[in-house]
Amino acid sequence: MGELEDLRQRVAELEQRLSEVHAQAETVEREAALQMTRAINLNARLSVILSLSAALPNSRDVDTVVQLIIREAATLFPGTSATHLFLVDHERNTLILRASASANPCTIITHPLHGLPGKAILAPRAMLLVGPELELTLNELDPYHLADLRNSMHEWPPQSALIAPLRVDSQRFGAIVLYGGVHAHLYHPRDIPFIQALADLAAVSIDELNQRTRAAALQRDLALTQSLHAEAEARLNTAQAQLLQSAKLAAVGELSASVAHEINNPLYAARNSLYLVEQDLSADAPERAFLTIAQQELGRIARIITRMRDFYRPARAELAATNINVLLRETLELVQTHLRHSHINTMTELSSDIPVIIAHADQLRQVFLNIILNACDAMPDGGDLRVRTRMLQARYEAPTTIEIDICDTGVGIPPEHRPHLFEPFYTTKTHGTGLGLAISAHIISQHNGRILLESEVCQGTTFSILLPTNQD
Amino acid sequence: MPPRQIQICDDDPAAALITQRGLQTLLGENYTVTVASSPNAAWLACAHGDVDLLIVDPGAGSGSASALVRAMHAFRPTTPILVLTAYDTPGLRAKMRDLGVSYYAAKPIDFKELLPIVTAALQTVPMPSAFPSRMSVYH
Repeated sequence: MGELEDLRQRVAELEQRLSEVHAQAETVEREAALQMTRAINLNARLSVILSLSAALPNSRDVDTVVQLIIREAATLFPGTSATHLFLVDHERNTLILRASASANPCTIITHPLHGLPGKAILAPRAMLLVGPELELTLNELDPYHLADLRNSMHEWPPQSALIAPLRVDSQRFGAIVLYGGVHAHLYHPRDIPFIQALADLAAVSIDELNQRTRAAALQRDLALTQSLHAEAEARLNTAQAQLLQSAKLAAVGELSASVAHEINNPLYAARNSLYLVEQDLSADAPERAFLTIAQQELGRIARIITRMRDFYRPARAELAATNINVLLRETLELVQTHLRHSHINTMTELSSDIPVIIAHADQLRQVFLNIILNACDAMPDGGDLRVRTRMLQARYEAPTTIEIDICDTGVGIPPEHRPHLFEPFYTTKTHGTGLGLAISAHIISQHNGRILLESEVCQGTTFSILLPTNQD
Repeated sequence: MPPRQIQICDDDPAAALITQRGLQTLLGENYTVTVASSPNAAWLACAHGDVDLLIVDPGAGSGSASALVRAMHAFRPTTPILVLTAYDTPGLRAKMRDLGVSYYAAKPIDFKELLPIVTAALQTVPMPSAFPSRMSVYH
């Protein structure tokens, strides 16, 4: 009997053990389920962070980055009443609310460096604020900001908050602030690594965008500086070339003036010695012929000297009303024998609209002569010489210009010679002085005009002289 | 009637000689043409003698020649002056005109052209109590 009792007791014990084990199993199961939920939750959060880290590098501007961060914060921390992302304005030493998610939008976007964002940016890493510490920090805000913040949320006051600085190394870009609702345990210390990750991702992305913007700006500056530099260099080169040219011309001018002056005395003596000899000679003396030649040649030297000197020293007194067409006809008459012998046909197209201008006729004649003789030299086997004048006017009431074209069908000027044509002493002719075109350009520029050149090797050359009409 | 006096002031010996010989030959014995090689010597000649025409070349540095022209203008206002220069520039012309010089010629002028200018200058009637009327014969 006692045995039965024993067995019963044993069964009861076992049953109790069983129920205990059952209860234990239930607890373990619940625990397992909880852990499972947490694992799933964790997994979900990690995948949010992962997808965020994949998406951020593709963002092209800071706004996209901050919007993305705000959106994902809502996924990572459900139940949050407001999420604020601030960026530092270094110039004004303030925090500017760049993006937010809350029931009502916050109207004030700048915050001084205090309150939750102020604490966040100064914090070394992400923090969870609860209780009195949170209350104290909220009360740092002035009443106006506090009211604005309260209006933006459904639930007030928040019982917990997550804050994190946006920083890369020692550089701080801003802060992220999440306000929890009235439920005290909405945020858990386990959330801290996630808000930290979110803030770090945001900081790295913003830093990279800033670097990229700065690099682009530097690149632009560099390109601009380079182009300015190139432009300045080109201007300098032009100025240097002009300086060299005018220095050469001045040197030539001075030299020729002093030579001309020094020659005058001996020339005067020689010429008039011959004159005196001639006085004593009988009318039929055979020496007379040579004497005449000598006198003529000395006279020629005198004219050359005078002309050479006058090129470089245009006297104001010689300015006179000048008819360009008449001048051209006279010049062509002067060389007509030369043209005929060289088998050159001359064609003129002189516009009757050309007004009389105030100019140095002798000098202009010298320019025309120079260019026409050059044209003849360019046509050793004959050709056509075309001389044309016409009026140019860009638009009604604009200043008018006389264009004088002297075209030949000669050998043309090779491109490598063209830049140097108007330089003094530059010549391609065996017996040239290299002064003709330099002096011509000088004379034309004294008349405020320009000489242009068009040339095609083996086709011919056109010199265009542009002279402004003087309508003051 | 004593011969009339022409004084030349030119520091170029050959040119001075030719001017002297040429004018002497062309004008004949009624004129005495003398040469001074410096403005100082020319001034001495003009101050002491009765010079009827001064022909002067201001040369490269026209300073002392200008002084001579000024002195003539002050002390011998009736004596005509001909500037015959190898250093003709618009500046020199203007300067000589300002100094009251009536006759101006630039070398290398031919005697054929120089002679009428010299003759014209010599014909300027000296008026003892007044300045000669200035002519504007600029060559």
